[in-house]
Parts: sequence; structure tokens; C-alpha cells
Amino acid sequence: MHRVLTNFIQALRNADVRISTAETLDALRTAELVGYADKALLKSSLSLVLPKTLDEKAIFDTCFDQFFAARENKPIEAFDAEGTQGSQGNANEEGPKQGSGTGAGGRAHGTEESTITEQQPSAAVANTPPDPSSASSPLGQMLLRGNRVEIGVEINNAGRQVGIERIEIFTQKGVYSRRILEAMGLLDLQSEISELEASADPTDRRRGHELGRRRDWLREEVRAYVEQQFLLHADVAGRRVRDDLLRTVRLSALDQRHRRHVEDLVRRMARRLIANHSHRRRTFKRGQLHVPRTLRRNMKYDDAIFDLHWKSEKVARPKVFAICDVSGSVSEYARFMLTFLYSLEEVLPKVRAFAFSSHLGEVTESFEDNPLERAIALALAEHGGGATDYGQAFVTFAALCLDDVDRRSTVILLGDARNNNGDLQLDVLKKIYERCGRLIWLNPEPRSMWNTGDSEMRHVSVYCHQVEECSTLAHLERFVAHLVRTHR
Amino acid sequence: MPRESSALTAYHMTETHPIAASVAEVRKQLEDHRYICSDQIATAVYLAYHLRKPILIEGPPGVGKTELAKTAAEMFDLPLIRLQCYEGLDEAKALYEWKYGKQLLYTQVLKQTLDEVLQGAKGFAESVQRLHEFGDIFFSEEFLEARPLLKALKEENGCVLLIDEVDKSDQEFESLLLEILSDYQVSIPEIGTVKAKRTPPIVFLTSNNTREISDALKRRCLHLYIPFPDVELEQRIVHARIPEIPDRLRTQLVRFIHELRELDLKKAPSISETIDWARTLLLLHADRLEPDIVRNTINVILKFQEDIESVEPEIARLTQKAVDAR
Repeated sequence: MHRVLTNFIQALRNADVRISTAETLDALRTAELVGYADKALLKSSLSLVLPKTLDEKAIFDTCFDQFFAARENKPIEAFDAEGTQGSQGNANEEGPKQGSGTGAGGRAHGTEESTITEQQPSAAVANTPPDPSSASSPLGQMLLRGNRVEIGVEINNAGRQVGIERIEIFTQKGVYSRRILEAMGLLDLQSEISELEASADPTDRRRGHELGRRRDWLREEVRAYVEQQFLLHADVAGRRVRDDLLRTVRLSALDQRHRRHVEDLVRRMARRLIANHSHRRRTFKRGQLHVPRTLRRNMKYDDAIFDLHWKSEKVARPKVFAICDVSGSVSEYARFMLTFLYSLEEVLPKVRAFAFSSHLGEVTESFEDNPLERAIALALAEHGGGATDYGQAFVTFAALCLDDVDRRSTVILLGDARNNNGDLQLDVLKKIYERCGRLIWLNPEPRSMWNTGDSEMRHVSVYCHQVEECSTLAHLERFVAHLVRTHR
Repeated sequence: MPRESSALTAYHMTETHPIAASVAEVRKQLEDHRYICSDQIATAVYLAYHLRKPILIEGPPGVGKTELAKTAAEMFDLPLIRLQCYEGLDEAKALYEWKYGKQLLYTQVLKQTLDEVLQGAKGFAESVQRLHEFGDIFFSEEFLEARPLLKALKEENGCVLLIDEVDKSDQEFESLLLEILSDYQVSIPEIGTVKAKRTPPIVFLTSNNTREISDALKRRCLHLYIPFPDVELEQRIVHARIPEIPDRLRTQLVRFIHELRELDLKKAPSISETIDWARTLLLLHADRLEPDIVRNTINVILKFQEDIESVEPEIARLTQKAVDAR
């Protein structure tokens, strides 16, 4: 059973639950303690040991049900269990047996379960099952024996042999089914069947017919097996491929239908950043003696200095001012950056957002009152669409909140710096630059495009502490992680 | 890993408490101690006992996280040692501290003796030599003030250690816990490593999720999430805590609370508030829920003016719903 449990843990890992080796060992010990007989108990026990957050617990629940349901379908466990899959498999298997006797093959298909169970004994009595040794190929013999357990084990073995756990996309299902069948010796069986069917002897032809039926049943069985394995291993791998792609694709080139995935991805990235950074916000010891407090605390010891106290400092959270160009092509980037910044609320509680195209306006409140998607939509609707005017945006920003900008503030400007050849008002930008702790310009265009046409990157970059290309999620993540880190 | 497992097998030598024979038994015992719980919670206690692993309990405030530890202590008939965490908690308050005052007093008192000891010593080197012969008297167990964590390790027959609201403490403190939680030992520079006695403590950590607990800590613990209970379970809880409350009132008030939890509130009423409210209503001799009586006592279950204001106009409807529901 250890293999089952480690497989299950592998499936959990695929589903983005982080499980360490130590936890795997814990899980094994837990399973040993509570046993495998009581499934509900096993589930609740493992759910204490393996998943360590609420999200992970939800994933664990579905994964456990899926995984162990899949296992129940397998002949070894399903043989005495009354699963629907099991009875259907029986129906399929019994069908050919009756068919061979009455000549009306496949009648049992789709008949109700009760009739099958009634007919089963009579069928078994009336027709003695075909003699296994009458088939020449090993697979044929096994099919004639009709032992589900044995066949199930064979399918499992063949599956392992062809590496079913490496299945990644759904189009591979057919390939893997065929490979498994071949590994089980389908080719030999195939030739035996065609040989028998071509034979002149009617008993041989009937045997061939019978074998053909059983082969079809086996095919169904293998297909179901591959389906389960795919659910367990592959859906995840497919998603991982997609995620990797989405991280590196240019956000403006993103398909509409992928947007939900990207937002999901952004949220997951943000969660990871929060997990990594929410700890260190408390105090920061600098190794200097806090003399007043030390003296005060040691008064009770007659001023003998026993109890030392060190100076410490609370690390202030950064104030972030995000100014986003929401005109035309850049708006897509603004959407994701704002999603990112606002998903980081736990680490960055003070984010003020501004949106502009022709005029700038603060959208912070709208973000506080509305859910994220709606706030972004509102900001885009209200401020997007005009001709970009950076100069005007700087002036309005300075008028609105230059007083609030101090050394602990980070001003993030997101835009392509294409000002339609208008006045840039660089002196205002300079003022902002001098007041704030950091001014960072994120440009969604590739570096090679900077300074071409009406792009003013050359001029604005003089008044920026940092200019970055920011066109993919990977860029965005790196930038935000840096932002969170340097402010500690 | 091998070290840990060998330590654990050693601990397993001690015989199993009859209470921890099975999950059902644990659950029954908890219920006998008036802690009504789900199977999940009983399983957690069962595993914690057998695997000797700490339980990290998370969940909204007032669902009985601390209570579970207390009840477990009662159930196993072990002393409960409690450590309340807060920002700035350090090892001097959690683990151990030297009894500076005692050390000082002793040096004063022993000055005389010291003179005698040093009498006749020629020169500085010889004096120091003689002093050395006395060893580190002042940094021995005699002068060690054991704080909760160390106390729990020194407990001869084991104990229940409750580390309450671990999320309120600092990151440094969390790291300090790691050694204790995985190996049941602490290292004190002046003395050496102190190991748990025959039976290591059963450790409960609670967290209100004000921040993420580090992975290292989570990895060492069983993770139990206690959500708000369903109607049926909560009724049983109220019944266990306040048996004298009439059935009809109990049903109605629990349903009302569940209606409230559905609303968008700053702080949803918890189990402890349900119990408080039940007590209040009992005190007022109410035998069923009425809008007026709800209005007058709503401040028992809602703790923010904002929430009270938003619920106020709904009270009649909610009460009706709670009374009508079948």
C-alpha cells in the first residue's frame, strides 16, 4: 500500500499542494496507525498531515476522492465492491459469454443490472466457459479465463511499462491506450482472431468471434484506465505547460480566453510573495544597546547590568503610488499590474493608484470599495481612451498628492512614454523624483523600441531611479518581488 | 530524520492511555468533558497523541481552539501549561531566564565566604584557580527560572502545552519553537541540551491567521482547521454547555446565529458568542426568540457598532426566519 500512498502524494503535488519528504514519512506513519480499511478515517487523518492551508485542504479533498475512486474502479479493489463501473464491466464481460451460446451476441449490453445478475448463473450453467487453453496467444488465454483481477493487474503493469504517468495532453490518450494494448500482446491476439475467423471450421469461427468480443471489452477497460490516469497525472502537467507559456508571453498578445487563467496565475504569484514576505515586517534589530531601557529594566538588580536590551526599529511598509497609463495598448499591462499590487495587500497595505490617458485621476477609492475586476473595469472606462498626455498627468499628480510623497514612497510609472509629441513637463517629473524614495518607470515595450518615434524614454529616464522593461508576467513578478524585498 | 524517529520509538515505549484507544473513544471522552466536536477534531487529537506531533489549530476566533487544548488536558488528566504569545515575546519569557536577583543576592551574601576561600591565595592567578574549582555555581539549574516551554519539557509525566495565538509572535520566536516541536528539546548555552522527560508534552498551537505561519513550523505540525460548526453540531454544543436551556429556544437561537453568519459582517458571531447569548436569554427568562428581545441583546453576539447597525433593520425578518425554519 505504500506505493498507493506515494502515488497519491505525487498526484497531490501535481495539484500544487506542497508536500515535503518529511510529511510523506508522516503520512506513511499515519496510515500505518489508522489503517487503510476505514476510508473516511484515512481521509481525515491524512488531511491533518498533508495539506497545511485551507486552500490545500480543498484541493486535498477533491484529489483524495478522485484518486481513490479511480482506484476502486480497478479490478483488484472493484472485484467485490459494487461500483457502477464494476457492474458495467461485468455486463460487458458477461455479454460475450451469453452471445457465444445463444448466437445473439451483445444482448446483455445495456440491460438492467438485476437481469444480469439473474442471468449470470444460468448463463454459467448453460454454457461452460470456453476453454482457456483453446486460445494460442497468452492474451487470448487470459481473456478467456475472464478473471478481472488478473486482467486489471496486467493493464496496470502494461501501463507502468509504457510510462502512463508521463501523459501530458488529452490528445495522447489514444496513443497511450494503443501502447498499453500492444504491451499486453494485442498483435498476437489480433492475428489469432483473423486466423480463426478465416477458418472453415464453424467452431473456430465462433471462437474467433468470441475472442473479438473480449478484445473489444479489453479495449474499453484500457481506455477507462487511461482516462483515470490522465485525470490524475496529466491535467496538471498540461496546466503547468500553459502557465509557463503564459508567464513568458507578451501580455498584449494575450488571447481574451486566457485572461482568466492569467488573473488566476497573478493571484497565485501574489500569494507566494505574501507567504515569503509577510513575516519580516515586524522588527529589525541593529545590534545597538538601548541604554535607557537597559538601565530602566536593571534597576531592580541594583543597577547591575544583567538584562540587556537592544535597539530595534519597526520597518515601515512602503507607500506605493502607482501611476498607470490606461490608454489603448498599455491598458492591458495596467490591468495586470494593478491586479498584482492589490493582491499584495497584506504586504503592501498602502497602495494608491492613479490612472490616466488624457487626464489623470485617483482610483484608489474605487479599488477599496469594489471587487478587483470591477474596479479595474471602472478605472479603464473612466480614464482610458483619450490621447496620452504625460505632461498633464505629472502636473495633476503633483497637485493631487506631491505633499504625501516622502522618502519612504515608491512611485511606479507604467507607460510606453509615447507622448504624442506633447509637452512632457519634465520639471514636474523632476520634482516628484526628488521627493520620493524611488521612482520606477515600467515600459511594456521591448527595449529596442524605446526612443523610436514619439517615445520619450531617453528624457524621462534621467529622472527615474530605475527603468525596466515589463511586458510579461515573469517581468512583472520579478519587479514586484524586488519592490517588496527592498523595502524591508 | 533517523534521530527523530529513534526518539519517537523511545517515547512509544510508554503504554497507551486507554482514552486514546480509538478515534471514537477520543470523541466520546471529549464529549464527556463537554467538548462537542467533529470527527476531524477527534482524529487530530488521536493522531497527536500517537504520533507525538504538535497540532497547529487554525480557524476563526471563538470556535474553541484554546478550549480544545484545555479539554484535552482535562481528558488525559495532565497539567496544562499555557504560553500566550504576543509581539515582542522572547526566549527570556518563553523559555528560561536566569534569576538575576537571586544570583545578586547570593554573591552579596557569599562575599564573606569568598574572602575565606580566597584567603592565603598568592596572587591573581591562584585566586582565579581556586574560584574555578567551584565551577559555574551561579549558572546552574538552581538559578534557572523555567518559563512555560522549559517547564513543559521538564514535566515528569508529560503535560499539555498550549502555545496560544502563535501568529501574534515574531518570526524569531517561531524559529525558536522549531527545535522544541520536532525534537522536544532545547539548548541552553550555559547548561547544555534539556530533553523532554519520559513522556513529551502534547503540544497545541493556535493561530488566528493574522499572518502566515512559516512552512518550517507548519511542516512539523498536524494542521487542523476548525470552521464554524453546522446547525446540528452547534445545537449539541449549546446543549452540552447550557443543558437547562429549553429545546425550542436553543433551536431558534442557533438558527438565528447561522442566518447572521451568512451576512456580510465585520466579525461573524462565533460559538462562544452563541453560548454567551444563550446564557443571556436564559437569564432573561426568554422561552422563544422575539424581535424585541433579540434587539435588546444583539450586542452580546455582535461586537461592532457597524455590524449592529447593518443587522438592526433585518432583525424582524431574521427572527421570523429562524422561528419558522424547519
